[in-house]
Amino acid sequence: MKTTIKEQDGKMVAILEGTLDTAAAAETEKAMSPLNSTDKDVILDCTDLAYISSAGLRIFLGILQSARGKGHHVYIKGLNDSVRSVFTITGFSNIFEFL
Amino acid sequence: MKKFLAYIRSKLSVRVSIWVVFFAAIIFTVALGFLFYESRDAVREEAIGKATRILDNTSLQVESIMNRVEVASNLNKWLVERHLNQPDSMFVYSRSILLNNPDFYNASIAFEPYHFKEKGRYFSAYTKHIGDSIRTIQGGSDNYQYFYADWYLMPFLLDKPSWTEPYMDLDVATDTREMVTSYCQAINDQQGRKVGVINISLSITWLSQTISATKPYPNSYSIMIGRGGTYFVHPDPEKITRQSIFTQTLEHPDPELTDLGHAMTRGEQGMKSMKLNGKKCYVFYKPLGKTGCSMAIVCPESDIFRGFNRLQNSVRIIVFVGLLLMLFFFIRIITFELHPLRKLADEAETIASGQFNAQLPDFKRVDEIGQLSHSFGNMQHSLVRYIEELKSTTAQKASIESDLRIASGIQKGMLPDKFPTKTDCDDVQIYASLTPAKDVGGDLFDFYFRDEKLFFCIGDVSGKGVPASLFMAVTRSTFRTVSAHESMPDRIMTIMNKTIADMNKNNMFVTLFVGVLDLPTGRLHYSNAGHDAPLLVGAGVGELPCDPNIPVGFMPDWKYTLQEAQIFTGTTIFLFTDGLTEAMDAEKNQFQMERVNEVAAKALSQQQQEPQQLIDKMTETVHHFVGDAEQSDDLTMMGIQYIRQQDNIKMQKRLVLSNDVQEVPQLNDFVDDVCQTAGFDEMQTMQIKVAVEEAVVNVMKYAYPAGQKGDITIEAASNDVRLKFTIIDSGMPFDPTVQSEVDTTLSADERKIGGLGIHIMRQNMDSINYERIDNLNVLTLRKRIV
Repeated sequence: MKTTIKEQDGKMVAILEGTLDTAAAAETEKAMSPLNSTDKDVILDCTDLAYISSAGLRIFLGILQSARGKGHHVYIKGLNDSVRSVFTITGFSNIFEFL
Repeated sequence: MKKFLAYIRSKLSVRVSIWVVFFAAIIFTVALGFLFYESRDAVREEAIGKATRILDNTSLQVESIMNRVEVASNLNKWLVERHLNQPDSMFVYSRSILLNNPDFYNASIAFEPYHFKEKGRYFSAYTKHIGDSIRTIQGGSDNYQYFYADWYLMPFLLDKPSWTEPYMDLDVATDTREMVTSYCQAINDQQGRKVGVINISLSITWLSQTISATKPYPNSYSIMIGRGGTYFVHPDPEKITRQSIFTQTLEHPDPELTDLGHAMTRGEQGMKSMKLNGKKCYVFYKPLGKTGCSMAIVCPESDIFRGFNRLQNSVRIIVFVGLLLMLFFFIRIITFELHPLRKLADEAETIASGQFNAQLPDFKRVDEIGQLSHSFGNMQHSLVRYIEELKSTTAQKASIESDLRIASGIQKGMLPDKFPTKTDCDDVQIYASLTPAKDVGGDLFDFYFRDEKLFFCIGDVSGKGVPASLFMAVTRSTFRTVSAHESMPDRIMTIMNKTIADMNKNNMFVTLFVGVLDLPTGRLHYSNAGHDAPLLVGAGVGELPCDPNIPVGFMPDWKYTLQEAQIFTGTTIFLFTDGLTEAMDAEKNQFQMERVNEVAAKALSQQQQEPQQLIDKMTETVHHFVGDAEQSDDLTMMGIQYIRQQDNIKMQKRLVLSNDVQEVPQLNDFVDDVCQTAGFDEMQTMQIKVAVEEAVVNVMKYAYPAGQKGDITIEAASNDVRLKFTIIDSGMPFDPTVQSEVDTTLSADERKIGGLGIHIMRQNMDSINYERIDNLNVLTLRKRIV
């Protein structure tokens, strides 16, 4: 699982590639911690995200809640169908904004 | 006549009046009859007295007349005998007799032929009445040679003065005839030779008139008879001198008359009651002094009683008319008196027709009718009151009955009504029936599916009716609530018991059987709280062994025991309440367990052990047994048949991990492989992977105490129909299926971090099933292969 954080167009972008399962969750969370403290809007680029389980969803939720607390947005882009189905089942598709 | 009788029957006034008049008539008849009967005698006595007095009077009168005649005759005889030598004086004497006694008819002083030689052959100083004056003439002549007259001869013959029989006296000069009787006496000279006769006559007619002057009764008459019975005086002039009292008896013997005649001629005095000319008479008779005559007064009875009879008839008529009037007036009076009664009856009719508030007539009377109307008024008030009460009671009853019907409907709604059969369910067939004894009852049954398990229960609340039904509702909802979080029947039972016992103020209880059937394996866990042990109908008919636990609701802290059994494919679990075994017929015989076993065995032998078949058979048999008797208890039966076949296993793979989340990628590779082999597409595989990861990570994190290493076995198996993953660990008992679901509709701020895992598992897999088997947690996830 590879996590890349960069700033782009005034927003913090996290590029996620690979399988975000429980095993990778701890490491990924650490890598994405800047997003918790940023003042900018966040974009989670999941174009190359092949898999996500509830551990990963928990991380996303944490980012979302801290961004909202500061009044910022969190956008998700590039979900493939499988990952999207997870979002749908868990109701996460209702709470995130999608690009 | 019938109409008349009907009329009488219909009218009290007429009946009473008729009775009164009837009795009055009887009294009158008796009283007056008695009066008249006794009076009769009095009247008769009176008549007798009267007649006797008259008779006495008359006889006295006649006697006095006759006496006067005798006295005059004696006096003149004395005078004549002193002046025998003065023939002319005879005329004076003769005349003086009539002068002094104007009522004499004539008098004669007659001498023997040629007694006075100068006077010739005949010498009779004859005096009689001519009109108003008295004339004295020479009575004897050739035409009338008195020497041969009775009156002349008799003194000679009898040698004593006597009265003659009546005879016709002819007065030649005036040519008048008169019936007379004469008193003749001989005139004797100093030598005692008879020289003449002095004769004084009395007119019979005059005598008759005198005698008859005083009539006691209009139709009475007097008779006078002489010595021989010859009539001197008789109302029929023809009879005078010609007949005697005995004459008519010669041709028609009449002993009474003859007796009378003899009595009278004998000079007797008295009264005889006899029949004369066919009429009843009273004859009063008395002799007239020494004359040898006798007189009698004949009084017809009809005369005597004429006034009496008239009086009697008058009284009869008065009484009769009076009774009629009485009848008439009594009818009127009674009708009048009863008029209020009629009014009362009319008012009662009005009330009877439904107008309860009709005004009763208000009499101020205190007699029976007043009391009646008073009582009637009370009755009316009571009636109105009772009807109001009845109306409200009926309304309440209707309301309660309606409530009961609704309650019955609600209770039915609590029971499952969709029974799975083999056509729509692979695992079990279920059928149940519940017949409450009243509108609502205390029996319950329930079943539902959760996570490849069938949760079911059957119970019987103590009692029947509304209290039991309320308890039943509580029990059932408690079962649902508790079994949502607990999968083990003993735990379910224990918690239910505590919950129910804590709120059980009326000391009710419920016998309960709780079972959880694991559908994949046919493993049955169960707990029994005092309920009838179910039957297993499969390889035979046998009773499921049940521990003796107390019913639910008694003791809050009771720990219920857990029991297990293996249910083989085709076996029906038959559950029931004691309404079945204790169903009673008319003679109070119970159905009993033996019969239940019989029916089950018979059904089994006929291959009729499917739940509906079995229950129908049981129902039919019980109904036949009970017959017409009233159902005594709620009757409940439930049949659960395990029909799941163990399918052919096509693939079986196994992975063992330790409880380290870092081994998750291995898991996911394993799952990838399995899903591919089973033929799932990418999306499905992804979903399965996520679900399995959640399940396994749960175990990794929580099954073993922190820091302790433990194994987790993941088995994958598939057949034609399904793919299943079985996750087994030997950690702490943990049932993920009882965790509450996460609410996915919450907003971002409201979402909790936890709870996602179980949600994903349920959503992505067809079923999840947890079992605790031999100290192992066994979690099975299944997905149909489409």
